Amino acid sequence: MPRSLEPMGVAADGRLGESKSTSASANREWSTGTRFEPVDVERRFEPPRGKIHPDRTLGWIRRMLPIVAAHKWVFVPTLVLALIANLLQVLLPAVIRSGIDQALTDRTASLNRFVVMVLVIGVLRSLLTLVYRYGLYKTAFQIDSDLRNRLYEHLSELSFDFYDRMQSGQVISRANSDIRSVQMFLTFAPLISMTVVMFSVAFTFMLTIHVPLTLVAILPLPGVYWLGVRLRNELFPLSWIVQGRLADVATTVDENINGVRVVRSFAAERQQINQLAKAATSLRWASVRTVDTRARHNPLIENLPRLGTLLVLVYGGWLVIDEQVTEGTLFAFTAYVTLLQAPFRTLGMVLMLGQRAKASAERIFEILDTEPSVADRPDAADLADIDGAIEFDDVVFAYGNGSDRADVLDRFSLRIEPGESVALVGRTGCGKSTVVRLLARFYDVDQGAIRVDGHDVRDVTAASLRAHIGMVTDEPFLFSTSLADNIAYARPGAERGAVVAAAVEAQADEFIAQLPDGYDTVVGERGYTLSGGQRQRVAIARTLLTDPRILVLDDATSAIDVHVEERIHAALTERAAQWTMIVIAHRLSTIALADRVVLMEDGRVAATGTHRELMANEPRYAEVLAHLDDGGAA
Amino acid sequence: MSFGGPAGSPFGGPSASATSAAAGLPFAGMPSELAERAERILAQEPEHPDPDVAFSQSEYDRRPFTLRRFLGPHRLGLAGAAALVIVETVALQAGPLLTQIGLDRAILPRDATVLWWVGLAYLASIVVNLAASAARVSYTGRLGEKLMYELRVRVFSHFQRQSLDFYTEEKTGRLMTRMTSDIDALAALFQDGLVNLAVQGLTLVIITGVMFALSPTLAVVTLVVVLPGMLALTFWFKGASERGYGAVRDRIAAVLADLSESLAGMRVITATNRRRHNVIQHANIVGEHTVANVRASTVGAIYGPANEAIGVLGQAALLLVGGRMVLDGSLTVGELFAFLLYLTAFFAPIQQLVQLYNSYQQGQAAVVKLRQLLQTEPTVVEARDAFVLPPLEGRIEFEGVTFGYDREQSVLRDVNLVVEPGETLAVVGPTGAGKSTVAKLVTRFYDPDQGRILLDGHDVRDVTLHSLRHQLGVVPQEAFLFHGSIADNVAFGRPDATAEDIVDACRQVGLGDLIDRLGSGVDTPVHERGSSLSSGERQLLALARAFLAQPRVLILDEATSNLDLRSETVIERALDVVLEGRTAIVIAHRLATAMRADRIAVIDDGRVVELGTHAELVAAGGRYADMYATWSAHS
Repeated sequence: MPRSLEPMGVAADGRLGESKSTSASANREWSTGTRFEPVDVERRFEPPRGKIHPDRTLGWIRRMLPIVAAHKWVFVPTLVLALIANLLQVLLPAVIRSGIDQALTDRTASLNRFVVMVLVIGVLRSLLTLVYRYGLYKTAFQIDSDLRNRLYEHLSELSFDFYDRMQSGQVISRANSDIRSVQMFLTFAPLISMTVVMFSVAFTFMLTIHVPLTLVAILPLPGVYWLGVRLRNELFPLSWIVQGRLADVATTVDENINGVRVVRSFAAERQQINQLAKAATSLRWASVRTVDTRARHNPLIENLPRLGTLLVLVYGGWLVIDEQVTEGTLFAFTAYVTLLQAPFRTLGMVLMLGQRAKASAERIFEILDTEPSVADRPDAADLADIDGAIEFDDVVFAYGNGSDRADVLDRFSLRIEPGESVALVGRTGCGKSTVVRLLARFYDVDQGAIRVDGHDVRDVTAASLRAHIGMVTDEPFLFSTSLADNIAYARPGAERGAVVAAAVEAQADEFIAQLPDGYDTVVGERGYTLSGGQRQRVAIARTLLTDPRILVLDDATSAIDVHVEERIHAALTERAAQWTMIVIAHRLSTIALADRVVLMEDGRVAATGTHRELMANEPRYAEVLAHLDDGGAA
Repeated sequence: MSFGGPAGSPFGGPSASATSAAAGLPFAGMPSELAERAERILAQEPEHPDPDVAFSQSEYDRRPFTLRRFLGPHRLGLAGAAALVIVETVALQAGPLLTQIGLDRAILPRDATVLWWVGLAYLASIVVNLAASAARVSYTGRLGEKLMYELRVRVFSHFQRQSLDFYTEEKTGRLMTRMTSDIDALAALFQDGLVNLAVQGLTLVIITGVMFALSPTLAVVTLVVVLPGMLALTFWFKGASERGYGAVRDRIAAVLADLSESLAGMRVITATNRRRHNVIQHANIVGEHTVANVRASTVGAIYGPANEAIGVLGQAALLLVGGRMVLDGSLTVGELFAFLLYLTAFFAPIQQLVQLYNSYQQGQAAVVKLRQLLQTEPTVVEARDAFVLPPLEGRIEFEGVTFGYDREQSVLRDVNLVVEPGETLAVVGPTGAGKSTVAKLVTRFYDPDQGRILLDGHDVRDVTLHSLRHQLGVVPQEAFLFHGSIADNVAFGRPDATAEDIVDACRQVGLGDLIDRLGSGVDTPVHERGSSLSSGERQLLALARAFLAQPRVLILDEATSNLDLRSETVIERALDVVLEGRTAIVIAHRLATAMRADRIAVIDDGRVVELGTHAELVAAGGRYADMYATWSAHS
């Protein structure tokens, strides 16, 4: 695995082609890193092979088929072995039947021969079963793994607008139960169709022996199917209801744990107990109903095959007395009744699994069919080294795509020179943060254009654009890895020395060094949580490590102590020549970082100038400043 | 959310309508034909009467929780269930024996009359098994649900007795499992475990007994050939599959944790160009999961066929030995037949018993954990002779209060403080100085180690917790919203409040715009712990909640610290309304909030270092004056 950590490294041009072809996720291969998307982890498992069929008009099985087909070299032989094993199972009672008749009743053949046959067939069947089950599980979990990987790859491709509306709980349930239900159906349905083959063979064999006895013997078996369907029809909705009510109980408990202070404050203990009792009563009703449904069906389902055995015994026995069939036949039929109930039991199950898998597959497709709204053009080129000139040209933008969307940016125009520092100032909701999100192309503008060094951001690869932009927000997200890994997040595998240097600049080194595990402290582990200010400092270090040409601080020091902030500012000012900087400021102290202040109002530039100029000439500026955070009182 | 902008920005989260569509449906995600059936089932559900559970802070069953004590009151019922189990099992295992009789007495001697009788007896055994089994499932199921209901209420009630220190952050997950998986494990033990144990054990006894009665030689042959291998195999399987599935559980947890963290951090992943790295990293985690899965299922893939192979061995042995006995006339064909049938019936109970041992262990572990939980005594206990606190004037007094969350380190040291009725006292100081602790002691979330806290001259430890907290209103830093509507949340402290009261409270604190804007007004549900509301709105809801409860004393614990400016202005205005005529302690993060109070107490290092009005403290030139100077310089 090549380490391509140095952004300006050797293979720059050689890999250009790879990052060019990112227009559709279907074309993107994830096996290696690129110049702008470094990889510092070795792929230890085979990448997923199959892909869902892109044609949305096809049925779900057809769309999933390529994923299964990718594993046909294991799957098809597995099915063949399963078929043979099932046929051997049909053979066994037939052999015992001959044994009873020929060796015991007629005493015309040697018993040993049959015993050996039983042993050989039985053991062979067990071996085959072992092998085909292994093959089946292997295929099943490969499909599972492929689906998981495809889903993750696709999710990583999706744009911010998807994550704005996404509920992570739903996505996770798709990645969990939906994938499982699809995988189960895809692998077990073919297997169960094998038992149908077995059924036909056994049934035909029985018919050749005695037609009426065969019909009488399997007479109760359709009842097993019918009752099974009825039971599931009732149990399924019930289990949804029970699950929902279990969740209600859990919600009440969860709320009482997390909201314990409120409950205690209002002395609402008894009220909450009654609420729980209410939820538990509903749960109890549904559970009892489930119990009763089982009680009505299960004993019947269990006893129907016994009814078959009884019919074979009485009618078959009568036939033996009448000398139409032999004792051995009686044994074989008894064995077949038990054997043949299996398809009746599983058939209904498979139909139901199929229904569920269809719904699950559609939910998975829903994600996989979501196109990233921000995607590279097919002819997008990498943005090589830049000077850092930024131009917003009549930008119009609104979030979402509903009818009620309101423009956040309304003909926003601004030019920022290379190396310049600009502060964006304005009331909450005036569009400051949106400006920088558009710059990094987290969203695409509705009208107008944004240019970096004269290149429209939509004409270059997003990865190369973002590689030049370092952005810190006010509530930075940290991952549950070590602090070192968090700081090196954009440069996986960076040297510890570089990590520490970035932390020192961001004034994070001091508090990190005091932790017992230092840079190896895992965020969130053992109750170790960082304060808001500490998180911001780690996020600043994370960004400084990437050595960006364009630095964006979106209220990035809001939770940091004023004195510490001063030191960070000093460090930033020292390197100010290296980057173009955009600061979104909620504090006077932050505005001081900038050469120029841009006052925003209602998605437009209202005024621009130095802090002094605006203070002197722009009453709206003074008004906005008066409302800024008073900062660091405590 | 990282780049999502401040909470409450109109662009941050999902649109309100989309969320309600997803969350509002009763059967979201259920296939439509199932939803119809579910509706039909629910239509049959009777109206459950409103529960009225007795609750006492100090009086409850303190005897250790054991399985015996838990099931004890239902001894008779369980005996009945056991009787049903016996009937059920005997009727079931009569089958092969009847087959044997049919063969030996009717079919081989060619006697059709006996055959009819055997058939009738067989039919009877089916009917009896059917009835007994249905009755047993229904009965034990109902009893189990009753027990689970009682246990849920009991455990939850004990949660409610516990003091705040019980709910430390690391514990919440484990507390949750007490009420969920532990009770489920107990339910499983009771409903499937105990009864099944009886059924399977009895089955083994009956089969072995019948086999020995039919032919001791053949019985010994069967047991010798089948039993050791089967037992060894089953114990191997149990151990190996437990280890295997333990690994699978860990791995799937890792997969989902990585996915969930990636989803939460996808904006950072995008911004830092980490996608390729993370895709491979995720593939590695998924790969580990797949390996664990294949490994665990291989255990199952071996177990089933190996068992069948042992069964075939048994069959072969029976045919060989039994066949010879038939040939020399020491065994009838019917008996051989019965042996072959019993051999098949022999496997299931042994396999199940080993599995049941598992569920028994889990159930026992759950019992132990529940016992520990139910024996946990709250640290803040109501005095036996606690009296109801009379309606408050609102005088609060700290008298030499020293307190620490753990023994070694005191957070407050010898604090003396008086808040007069109707006065607003702001408490300021650096983070960790003990400001919030002041609030927690007044509400008796904790008891002081030394000294006392008096309300209108009554020690808070002498009055009932209910009467104390009922007269105090607390607005915490993080406004916690319960699942339900805005109205439910506002009326939390006063469930009997009318709709007008609720709307009025909302308007008083400045939520009028919000409820006018929302389609269903105060009946609009708050989702996912209030994610569809901005943090300012949530804070205002918490304030409305306190306001509606009409407490005599109000405690604001950094209630305005997480707000943007516009919300803060609204809240400051609301506070003026709420504080009117009430005693209040305001734990303040921002000086702007503190300045509005009648008096200010500066706390540092667990002590009150300064106390006075804003003007006095500024004039005194101490700690507060410094803070004020820094603050003014930056604004």
